[in-house]
Amino acid sequence: MQLNGSDIIMECLLEQGVDTVFGYPGGAVLNIYDALYKYSDKIRHIETAHEQGAAHAADGYARATGRVGVCIATSGPGATNLVTGIATAYMDSVPVVAITGNVTRNLLGLDSFQEVDITGVTMPITKHNYIVKDVNQLADTIREAFRLANEGRKGPVLVDIPKDISAQMCEYTPKKPDAPKVFPLPQEFRFEKALELLQKAERPFLYTGGGVISSGASEEVAQLAEKLDAPVASSLMCQGGFDQANPRYMGMLGMHGTKTAALALQNCDLFVAVGTRFSDRVTCNADLFAQHCPVIQIDIDPAEFNKNIEVDVKLKGDAKAIVAELLRRLPQKENWEWMNRIHQWQKKYPLVQQPGREGTVTPQQVLETLDRLTDGKAILATEVGQHQMWAAQFYRFRSPRQFISSGGLGTMGFGLGAALGAQVGLPEKQVVNIAGDGSFHMNCNELSTLSKYGIPVIELVFNNQVLGMVRQWQKLFYGGRFSQTTLEKKTNYEMLAEAFGVKAMTISSPEEVEPVLKAALETQGPVLINCHIDPDCNVLPMVPAGASAEDPILEM
Amino acid sequence: MENNHPEKDYILSVLAENRAGVLLRISGLFSRRCYNIKSIVAAQTADASRSEILIVVTGDDRIIKQVKRQLEKLVDIVQVTVLDWENSVVREHILLKVARTKENSEALVSIANTFHAGVLSATDTSMLVELTGDPRTLDSFVELYQPYGIQKILRTGTMAVEA
Repeated sequence: MQLNGSDIIMECLLEQGVDTVFGYPGGAVLNIYDALYKYSDKIRHIETAHEQGAAHAADGYARATGRVGVCIATSGPGATNLVTGIATAYMDSVPVVAITGNVTRNLLGLDSFQEVDITGVTMPITKHNYIVKDVNQLADTIREAFRLANEGRKGPVLVDIPKDISAQMCEYTPKKPDAPKVFPLPQEFRFEKALELLQKAERPFLYTGGGVISSGASEEVAQLAEKLDAPVASSLMCQGGFDQANPRYMGMLGMHGTKTAALALQNCDLFVAVGTRFSDRVTCNADLFAQHCPVIQIDIDPAEFNKNIEVDVKLKGDAKAIVAELLRRLPQKENWEWMNRIHQWQKKYPLVQQPGREGTVTPQQVLETLDRLTDGKAILATEVGQHQMWAAQFYRFRSPRQFISSGGLGTMGFGLGAALGAQVGLPEKQVVNIAGDGSFHMNCNELSTLSKYGIPVIELVFNNQVLGMVRQWQKLFYGGRFSQTTLEKKTNYEMLAEAFGVKAMTISSPEEVEPVLKAALETQGPVLINCHIDPDCNVLPMVPAGASAEDPILEM
Repeated sequence: MENNHPEKDYILSVLAENRAGVLLRISGLFSRRCYNIKSIVAAQTADASRSEILIVVTGDDRIIKQVKRQLEKLVDIVQVTVLDWENSVVREHILLKVARTKENSEALVSIANTFHAGVLSATDTSMLVELTGDPRTLDSFVELYQPYGIQKILRTGTMAVEA
């Protein structure tokens, strides 16, 4: 049938099962928005306050639901406003398709109004990108974009569409998406080598990364931990990928990992990494990381092998399939002595947060109360900074896709957009965005999106009047010279929230934590909680720059 | 990560879809991942929908594997082969303009003859010669003309094909 380019875009989105998109209209996407108007009963469009919010929302939607997130922006500034969101998704391998409009083809390259070479700009931060210059290729390009975004190591793909292409008529033939690609298992000799190491190990360390979640391998990994009789640590990207209520769980490893995980790293005789890329935040000093023991790495992206650390056995492919194969061939192991040592360390070195001053609220209290009140089932998004680490440390994530956080890029301003995307994708879940007062000022405009659509996210702001994470570094390494980290903002959070149409609550003392959280959870619609904490609450343990991941400091 | 591997030059043959921006994607990857390109040559293949890009990279064995795996992730790239120097024919082309006087003219021609190089033109003050050969031969060629005063050198990147 003959359709115009914009209708073809809509049809292609429907082919892919898309029912929700996030975006912001503008001149170059007028045709596309006209089609969205026409298709509004099939595709829900959430209009954010800013394109960056739309990109983060598509990302949060994808992380929470496991489906590809879609965002739409106009040419020029609309497109560049997506950039931080696209880079965030790229660093954390999140499947997002970004659709941008551009000026008509005859105006391309002439510095036309709102023209920007967005494919040039996003080349380093997308898996791939396209500019569609022939309407006959539009449908296949969009199909290809979805396939690429979701295949192998996932990531964002951008499709740039000049305005005349979105108006041109063209023959459209519906097509069902191809079945997902099945990745072959690694070669037999690699399995044999891995199995030999796994069987020999008496003190194995199982380390899980974001790949466990994207591959849907949580169940298999949990079984592997049992069969190996191994303790487990998870990266920031894998919070909930392994049930944190399981006694095997040691916490995170690396810069803000637990002492138990650090001691286990120091003492293990085999390190097994699943779906993780040994980021510098985990290895700390890569030259000192797991030097004394063999390392097995399972990853779908072979470029991650020997990139940051040298590994002994590389198992390339889908984590779920590989771990299932290992399970099939591995006998049950018993390492009670090793597990006893782990449990002793866990007892000796629990995560305990010292309040900055007596009688002040600690984030630990808030997060543990939230955990209890939500039965560990809420979805937590975060911004970036101290509050992000506290959320990872003190909420016990039970299942995958519960923790939505910018790990690789570390994007302040990510959380609120991501939280609203997650909530739109999973309306029956309780979504809470954990924020700091610094990050809050980067995206508070999206409160207006929460109220406009009645998206019942709880925005929980840990308000310490400082940029706590940077301040913590200044305390340790810059002689306490707090350059630009004392915020002294005059913002009235409660009034600001109310002005955006969001109900506001306040926590000022430890006694208020539980009743206020309860009240917020019972409220229909969005809530902001302004939670006052002490500026000298630190994130600990901490591995200082250049030190070994085996030696975190516990006090400062 | 500690680096105990010796650095040397590797030639990568990259087969890619002949689409706009492919070279940009490749060179962008090299620059952002801090790999060193020594030379790059792109040409259409017998199949017009494909192009072959030959890249000389300086690095150690580990880096080359990284480069190869990263290149293979680019959607437009079909195949990446690290060529074996020993079993490859490696060629570059050079255009060299050297200062000419009445006294040195004969010597200049004699160098060209030694290399079977072509003399393209000569004026009262300069002589233009050309040579195709492996990079080392070209280096010697340049070396021999050096004392006479080289006015300009244009040298293509390295092409190579496994024999």
